[in-house]
Amino acid sequence: MQSEVIIETRSLTKVYRDFWGRQKVQALKALDLEIRRGEIFGLLGPNGSGKTTTMKLLLGLLFPTSGKALLFGRDATDVSKNERIGYLPEESYLYRFLNAEETLDFYGRLFNMSPKVRRQRVAHLINLVGLDLAKRRQLKEYSKGMTRRIGLAQALINDPELILLDEPTSGLDPIGTRNMKDLILDLRDQGKTIVMCSHLLADVQDVCDRIGILYQGELQELGRVDSLLEIQDVTEFRASGLSKEAEAEIRQVVEKHQGKLLGIGHPTSTLEELFLNIIAESEAHPGRRVRSGEGAGDGS
Amino acid sequence: MVLEKEIPVFVDWIGGASLDWVIAVAIFAVVAMAVSLLFAIVTRGPIRGVAGVGKAFLATFADVFTMSPRRIAALVWLAVKEAIRKKVVVGVAVFVVVLMLAGWFLDPSSTNPGRLYLSFVMTATSYLVLLLALFLSVFSLPGDMKSKTLHTVVTKPVRHSEIVLGRIIGFTLVCTVLLAIMGVLSYFFVVRGLYHEHTLTAADLAPAGGEASAGEAEVPLVGMTSKEHGHRHEVYVDPSGATRTRYENGHTHAVTIEGSGDQVRYRVGKPEGVLVARVPIHGKLRFRDIKGIDKEQGINVGDEWFYRSYIQGGTDAAAIWTFTDLKESDFPGDRIPLEMTLGVFRTHKGEITREVMGGLALRNPDTGLTVEIEIFESKEFITQKLWIPKQIVKYSNRQMIVQKYETPGGVKTKPTEADLDDSLAKKTEFDLFKDLVTPDGRVEVWLQCLEPGQHFGAAQPDLYLRAGDASVVWNFVKGYYGIWLQVVIVTSFGVMFSTFLSGAVAMVATIGILIAGFFTDHLMELGVGPKYGGGPLESFRRLIGQDNVMTDLPAGLGTDLVKMGDQLLQPTLRIMSAILPPFDEFGCANFVANGFNIPADFVLTRTFTALAFFIPLFVIGYLFLRNREVAR
Repeated sequence: MQSEVIIETRSLTKVYRDFWGRQKVQALKALDLEIRRGEIFGLLGPNGSGKTTTMKLLLGLLFPTSGKALLFGRDATDVSKNERIGYLPEESYLYRFLNAEETLDFYGRLFNMSPKVRRQRVAHLINLVGLDLAKRRQLKEYSKGMTRRIGLAQALINDPELILLDEPTSGLDPIGTRNMKDLILDLRDQGKTIVMCSHLLADVQDVCDRIGILYQGELQELGRVDSLLEIQDVTEFRASGLSKEAEAEIRQVVEKHQGKLLGIGHPTSTLEELFLNIIAESEAHPGRRVRSGEGAGDGS
Repeated sequence: MVLEKEIPVFVDWIGGASLDWVIAVAIFAVVAMAVSLLFAIVTRGPIRGVAGVGKAFLATFADVFTMSPRRIAALVWLAVKEAIRKKVVVGVAVFVVVLMLAGWFLDPSSTNPGRLYLSFVMTATSYLVLLLALFLSVFSLPGDMKSKTLHTVVTKPVRHSEIVLGRIIGFTLVCTVLLAIMGVLSYFFVVRGLYHEHTLTAADLAPAGGEASAGEAEVPLVGMTSKEHGHRHEVYVDPSGATRTRYENGHTHAVTIEGSGDQVRYRVGKPEGVLVARVPIHGKLRFRDIKGIDKEQGINVGDEWFYRSYIQGGTDAAAIWTFTDLKESDFPGDRIPLEMTLGVFRTHKGEITREVMGGLALRNPDTGLTVEIEIFESKEFITQKLWIPKQIVKYSNRQMIVQKYETPGGVKTKPTEADLDDSLAKKTEFDLFKDLVTPDGRVEVWLQCLEPGQHFGAAQPDLYLRAGDASVVWNFVKGYYGIWLQVVIVTSFGVMFSTFLSGAVAMVATIGILIAGFFTDHLMELGVGPKYGGGPLESFRRLIGQDNVMTDLPAGLGTDLVKMGDQLLQPTLRIMSAILPPFDEFGCANFVANGFNIPADFVLTRTFTALAFFIPLFVIGYLFLRNREVAR
């Protein structure tokens, strides 16, 4: 049974025009996307591929040139959808003259939360992102990593059902990155839907269930991370409870077929390889979906 | 005090003004709808375009009516924080420095130091605060868009209306606090600047009327106080005790006497009456020409400023103020104070040892009884104070006068000559309220210039009865409230422009509105077409060609084009002057500085005018912000 669709885009297109209405760049071309409850979806692409444009269209910060973006079945420009979403911008765009507590309290008030609820949420989130010691300091004194963390905290102030993260791990040290990824997985386990865009492929590979790869405003690849990275011409076996004899037998079978046993099972390539492949292929054949349907589970 | 525009009575004004406002807003809304509909149809096709505009229209209502006080409060708080971060306190510091410097340059020994001090502080305050309101309001939203902090805000369930309203309220609040601080500082600055004491010793006083004879121990004493702030006061010490000094530079001091004989000490108290808030009762002014016939205006003596109209001396010409609704109970005491400021125009130098003489009389408009109450020497540029006694004893200069006015059927009189009861003028004792004021409280004050060849000029606010005084502090507060209303309008314009313009452009636009707002009357005059010289383009053409305003321009294509251009421009100017905020009308400094109470009608009409600008500006700002891409 399929779970509820949280985000749906129908041939979402964005064309940036200059002052005179002349077309400057087609940032997004007819994007069709469905993201369901409980998923972690990663949007990948090189710089300028339309990831952030997609994100902004979903948030209603930009208006689509044509097509539609629906969140919870409502138009992306509908303010009321914001009650249920959290957004971490690319660089935490926060008021630098406020301190952490004031920041979270301010955003809490924008959700019309009562003072009591706000106090609880603020304390909880500051603790969650580990800023207890710095909660009274103005954000302008914060390091990049701390700014990311307070940014994440403000995105979670309303306990959102859908969380949009723009480059969540940028600027974080390895430990911070690990914590962020753990937190993302935690949030998924709480039943939240997460959309993140990133060009740090290792992070995406670690946490995302499904990914979409954008290149020059077009969706080049879409599917489950595990199936996308599966190498079809390599077989991997993994078994337990096999006797020495049985193992020897398998080795013999493999040797008989001039194979070499590396382990058993389907190994995966790294996302980096896949990514570079797709970019190379789409440069060679512009305007064509590279591996359309092939092995990609497409959300099933 | 010069009051070029009559202050409308609020209850009479509000109906028509509201109707005008509704019509203007409706026209604006219809035009805006039509333009957006057209735009939507062109860009999105007829069906989707109309549907889109309809949806946006409904969403607008939803947004405005689902505003949450808590969210607005949060945004107000943010705006205040931002203002503090931008160091608005510097504004106060600048103000203090300005006050300190002004202390050196303002001359407390001038004839009206109160006016000097008050108009200075109020002007300084309003410029500073308006500038501050301007800077705060125009740079905030563009700054937030540039730093993208607005992205984080609009992705919360914030209505765009709340963002605009929060900004307007927040910055207004900041300016209010600053205005309050500056107000308190200015008040003490003025009071302190005008404060002075004189000394008076026994040696300064001499018996009135020369040396006292040995037998008389108690004679009144006369003398002058010491010179402070450039003036001395004459003191007349009655043997009975406490007294006060004569008025000088508009104020007086109480004098107390301690001890007696050689031990006598005179103590001169604080200045009284430096700051006042007169409550004038104005009459309706009409004129009478040299033939004794009523006219709307007197004659023009060649002033370009039409404020005062002139009457010829030594003729029947008069300036007549009709007061209404006078009640005896409103004027305690046995006389009524009357104050006037006249313009004098001389065609010859006249008697050089004295000023031009004038006469003041009272007339009962029903019976025609006219009794002269005062012959005076006119004083230009100074407010003269005269008294009308309630009981008038007069052996001469009382007569019956009819009012003559022109009708299409010839000159008529009121009352008719036959109705005049000449016995009234034969009396010698008159009761002001029984004989001269009609039962419904009307009386006329007649001003005449008594010297042939000289002229008196008068405008309606020039002569008034001074019923009493209002609280000076309260008047000061009302004056600052006038500045505050300007702050609200400037902030609303600033925020509105900043929703779709960059900070610098929004600032220029707001300054443009502000400047044009100070000249709405001039724009209207150009729009209607002045008496001479034509519309804006024609005037400009005359300016360039150095043609005078009276001759016709040479016929030809150039002139035709100029006139055609004016035909197009003038309606635009008329519309502009009608919808621009009339900043010049908000200034209360004139009232406060000249020592007049700011009437309640003034406060109310201006408050509603400010509100009338705030509401549409808020809605326009909201619509622009809502329909723009925040991330562009």
